[in-house]
Amino acid sequence: MREGEKEESLGDSFRQSRKEFLVMVAAWAVFATWTTIYVGRNSSSEPGEPLRLVLGMPDWVVFGILIPWGFGLAFTMWFSLCFMRDTDLESISEEGEKE
Amino acid sequence: MSALVSFAIYLLFVFVLAAVANRVGKDKGFLKEYFLGSRTIGVWAFALTYAATSASGGSFMGFPSLIYTHGWSLAWWIAGYMVVPLIALGLMAKRINQVSRIAGAITVPELLRRRFGSSLVGNVATLMLIFFMFFYLMAQFKAGAQIMATILEGVPLYTEAVFATEALFDGVPWIGQAEGDYLLCLAFFAVSVIIYTTYGGFRAVVWTDVMQGLVMGVGVIILLVMTLSQVGGLGKATQELSKMTPPEFLDVVVEREDPDVAEEMRIPRGTWILTRDQEVIRLKSAVVVVSGEAASEPVEAIRLTSAGEISRVKESGKLLRGGFAKVSGEVETYAYGAGKPGVYTSTPGPSRDNPMGFLTVFLALSFFVFWNFSGAGQPSYMVRQMAFKNTLTLRRSMAMVAVYFSLIYFPLVIIFTCARVLLPGMEIYPDRVMPEMAQAVTSSAGMPWLAGLLVAAPFAAVMSSVDSFLLLVSSGVVRDIYQESINPKASEKQIKRLTYGVTVVVGVLGMIAVLQPPVFLQHLIVFASAGLGASFLMPMIFALYWRRTSGIAIVAGMVAGAITILSLYLVGMLKTGKFGDYPFLGLHPFIWAVMISGILIVLVSLRSKPPGNSIQEKYFGKAESDGSDPASPIGK
Repeated sequence: MREGEKEESLGDSFRQSRKEFLVMVAAWAVFATWTTIYVGRNSSSEPGEPLRLVLGMPDWVVFGILIPWGFGLAFTMWFSLCFMRDTDLESISEEGEKE
Repeated sequence: MSALVSFAIYLLFVFVLAAVANRVGKDKGFLKEYFLGSRTIGVWAFALTYAATSASGGSFMGFPSLIYTHGWSLAWWIAGYMVVPLIALGLMAKRINQVSRIAGAITVPELLRRRFGSSLVGNVATLMLIFFMFFYLMAQFKAGAQIMATILEGVPLYTEAVFATEALFDGVPWIGQAEGDYLLCLAFFAVSVIIYTTYGGFRAVVWTDVMQGLVMGVGVIILLVMTLSQVGGLGKATQELSKMTPPEFLDVVVEREDPDVAEEMRIPRGTWILTRDQEVIRLKSAVVVVSGEAASEPVEAIRLTSAGEISRVKESGKLLRGGFAKVSGEVETYAYGAGKPGVYTSTPGPSRDNPMGFLTVFLALSFFVFWNFSGAGQPSYMVRQMAFKNTLTLRRSMAMVAVYFSLIYFPLVIIFTCARVLLPGMEIYPDRVMPEMAQAVTSSAGMPWLAGLLVAAPFAAVMSSVDSFLLLVSSGVVRDIYQESINPKASEKQIKRLTYGVTVVVGVLGMIAVLQPPVFLQHLIVFASAGLGASFLMPMIFALYWRRTSGIAIVAGMVAGAITILSLYLVGMLKTGKFGDYPFLGLHPFIWAVMISGILIVLVSLRSKPPGNSIQEKYFGKAESDGSDPASPIGK
């Protein structure tokens, strides 16, 4: 079977799940990059350096963690409530179940 | 005492829920009901059982102790949780549920066994699950016992019971070596969880998880408000934290003030003492100067080094001004951060052992990977993903868990950075900072009864994890070993009895194993999570998403993941002499294990015979079980 035919033979729900899988991994990579680069570059402190506070926290916590956390929350809401598609799982007959 | 009453009411609710769950599940098929709640778990139950199981003793005991010890750097350490609901919950849930229904599987090893039509795959998965899960159980049992001990401390009846327990088991091998308070609390905690889990099964576990999840959420929010109010605002606390320097560890000898007094002198652990040199120290264990002796044996203690902390302890009136303690032997300072103000408000954070500091960039990135992908690879979550009712439940639950985790984890960082200001000297037993903090802030606010609810939060976290793990291990033994390999024709009555028996035996074994408690709670939890994640993440991803994957490749991937974790922990232990991982090239062992596992699965699959067309069609094709509706409107 050629690659194109193989892809054709895949179920729609499987292909949709695979697409969602890739979007989730891509989103994770974006947030990991943001946090790692920002905090990695801005969170160390030299002796005598003044503490910069934003909302009562060190500024690197706000810009490198709290704000991306807010975006992560918003993305998760959008992804789960708007992007993800429903699949009819309840109609699947459970074959071969030992009970 | 009032805290104890609130706590007792909470426990009573747990038992009532278990009893009701048992009655509800009575008319349904035993195994699917007992281990999977008959796949009828709805939004609230699915979201909160997932969140509560995830937020274990690590989240409420180990994590707070790390925040307290290393400061704001823990915000970076936990940052991966910003997308944990997306990855750990969403990444495979839909496919796991679908494939488990097609296969008729009710446990994770069974799913893998049926997906590949291979007993070897199922047996290896069962072994991995039982092995690593047992370490997890040990850690949770210890956490549960510690919380109980904090709640009961000072209750007269409890104190008497502790003495009686010590007397009863004195000289008994293994059991007699444990401290009386720990032994008593461990027994109470373990017996409580074993009873309700055994009686109620998965449905009871899920229902109690829902209640425990709510208790945790409410507990954290109340604690946050009270903490910020008592510390005078977050900005003030962070400013104070930026001036702090880590304490020093030392041994002290306590001498009698009056050498002519001959009777035994006892000073409880945790006592603050002003030394002859006007230094403020805190005892890590109780001091006893026996009659006839002039001084005690050396005991471990910490010495404060920050002026602000020293003056707060002096002002608190807790200081024992005897002038009779003196430092004995070497003083140990932090390997990174000693005498360095600002170390608690910057990265890498102070470290007692590592001269590079607590959290390097590579390690922080490792944890961003770890929380998400190790979470996705935990069998305890996978089994919940097999149990939700439909995809609408999954989608709404993801949104709900995202909000819930945001309300739990980031506030915990705020609370326990402030705890450094409110509760100095907790380095003597950092794992107890959460219950101590709950008691301290509620007492200061004149509401000691509220401590019961706040302490119930970590207790709920521990309980909700232990019950899930107990069920996972017993399902592994009953379904995947006994029913699959020993007695496939076992009657429902036999299975039922065996299931109850195994759940009790596993719980009791876990309790016995932690009679000598492991020292590093969080390390044990991370080890068990890493081992499970390394063994199951890549095999499950490939099983669900790559139809060319072969059964033997899955076995190779599971074994390679587990061996990599074990090896890097062994190297860590050989290098440091303590239980801990070896971050090869600065990366957590989990990263290496997952990479090796994934590469092996691909290589072995490509070199082995592909699965038959019928299997490929069944799990990946346009079979009748494929219930997707491509025309379904987005966001429905």
